[in-house]
Amino acid sequence: MLDHGNPSLHHSITPRRHYSAVFLARVEGNLTATRKHPSFAGWRLIICQPISKDGVPEGVPQVAIDPHGAAMHQRVIISSDGLAARKAVGDNKSPARWMIIGIVDEKEGA
Amino acid sequence: MRLGSVIGRVTLSKTVPALIGARWLIVSPFTREHFQRGSDEPSGLSKEPSLVVYDDLGGGVGQTIGFIEGREASAPFDEPTPVDAINGALVDEIFYNPFKP
Repeated sequence: MLDHGNPSLHHSITPRRHYSAVFLARVEGNLTATRKHPSFAGWRLIICQPISKDGVPEGVPQVAIDPHGAAMHQRVIISSDGLAARKAVGDNKSPARWMIIGIVDEKEGA
Repeated sequence: MRLGSVIGRVTLSKTVPALIGARWLIVSPFTREHFQRGSDEPSGLSKEPSLVVYDDLGGGVGQTIGFIEGREASAPFDEPTPVDAINGALVDEIFYNPFKP
């Protein structure tokens, strides 16, 4: 059952959902980590802030792997589909979850 | 993956067999208002509830880690394992520049 309810709950630690979500987000930073799960080696790790349709931040920032090369403060679409992320990193035992699946160039409508 | 600072450790005297020998960290997640810049951790705790994270990278108190929550947290294990948050990266440096319209 898909219950999208209050968007701020999507980032709290409960309730846990077993389907994946896709959010509009803004790139707000990146990070370096020498010691990490081997499947993240070579991947850009980007800090993405989920935003509303008006660009207002919603919930806590998430770190996503970035196969596309998103730039600072660009709007992107992030997905929490772990299966797709594992396929992207090429390791079926990777804990990868959030991935930038597209870069927004324009958005229309309310 | 979310980011947070390690504020403590947990040891267990009795566990399910799949988790024998595991290291656990207590992590206070960063929020937009309470976020690390560079390699200096923010002081104090964030408003987000702290959580216990499985650790196989060797994180310690005072470090910043990236942890993965949800079903993907148990993906690295061979057997089905009751882990819902796992340490994915020991963070060295963060470049964080929140957007101000």
